[in-house]
Amino acid sequence: MHLLLLNGSPKGESGNSNYLLQLLKEGVDQIPGHTQEFANLVRVKEHRHYVELFQQADAVVMAFPLYTDMMPGIVKAFIEELEPLCGREGNPALGFIIQSGFPESVHLRALEAYLEKLTRRLGCRYVGTALRGGGGSVRSMPSFMVKELVENVHALGRSLGETGEFDRELVTRFSKDETLPLPRLWFIGTLGDRMARAFFWHREMKKNGAYERRVARPYAEPPEGW
Amino acid sequence: MKICVLNGNPEPSDFDEYVAQFSVRATEKGHSVKVLQLRDMDIKYCVGCFGCWIKTPGECVAKDDSAKVCRTVVHSDLLICASPVKMGQVSALMKKTLDKLIPLVLPYFTVREGEIHHPQRYEYTRDLAVLLQRDGADEEDFAIIEQSFRRLCINFDSSFRFLKLTDEPVEEVVDALTAA
Repeated sequence: MHLLLLNGSPKGESGNSNYLLQLLKEGVDQIPGHTQEFANLVRVKEHRHYVELFQQADAVVMAFPLYTDMMPGIVKAFIEELEPLCGREGNPALGFIIQSGFPESVHLRALEAYLEKLTRRLGCRYVGTALRGGGGSVRSMPSFMVKELVENVHALGRSLGETGEFDRELVTRFSKDETLPLPRLWFIGTLGDRMARAFFWHREMKKNGAYERRVARPYAEPPEGW
Repeated sequence: MKICVLNGNPEPSDFDEYVAQFSVRATEKGHSVKVLQLRDMDIKYCVGCFGCWIKTPGECVAKDDSAKVCRTVVHSDLLICASPVKMGQVSALMKKTLDKLIPLVLPYFTVREGEIHHPQRYEYTRDLAVLLQRDGADEEDFAIIEQSFRRLCINFDSSFRFLKLTDEPVEEVVDALTAA
């Protein structure tokens, strides 16, 4: 199988999506006989070329973050480039890894439904969608904190290499919490949020001299005529 | 009611005429309508840099027309996302514009409807509606689009008003503005 790994992160190679795709590749590599290639959708001018790579692949896995409850703009632009391939014979199998900074999986379900429909629209075999909340900073976490994630994505890669699809049980395990039980919800919404402010957001704002303006409302004045 | 219509039609077509008709009829009914023709605006892709949260709070660091979009959206009572359906979702032009609304929320977390979401930067919110041109889409596509925009409503603390198709006479959309 020739596998095309499409990184749909607007941050390009520095994002979490690329990290997850690298892990997936390591998992696939544990099964002999496959070739793999990467492409970054942030290079919008290359989309036509990527459509050719898409047509040549046996399987494609796209990974990207949730942006305003859907796919990022660059990913939608690429999907529109795929329109001529709808219903074509010999389209690759298609799968997705999607993630969100919110801790729950529920945020990603509408996008999952869209991607499953997209796969049918193109006439591709569905590899599956692995989705996961709490993905904001997995790339920069210490290794003990991401051990389970690494193992799960490696296992997803192995299942793709062995069977040509994502093992359903692994996908379920990967998605973790659909919603949060009340105590965790309360914790993240209060103390967790305070910690994130103190140890990340406010530090970053201070580095940029922006802390005093952190809740600024630059568009408080209405547009002309309103 | 102040209505901001984002027209995400990537190429000139009858859809623009429908949106123009809507604007005229809604104005006749006493609404104040601003239509932003997104394809004529310079809107750069969001690159996920967090700059609108940690460098220039509330504004994109890339100077483009998304500032005008944000200002108009903030001061509207109703935001209508108008687009032909492209591959089962609003156009890429519309989607890249929605990505640029992130300056309207704060980076922090809050609990809304039993889930984690971002707090709003502005104290006032607006309702949200979707106007679509069918373009080969089916009922399943519309259900998925509505589901996506209902999610977006929770994030922007908005109420979902309606999803309408340009199959219907423009009067139906105008009537939906005042329907309960």
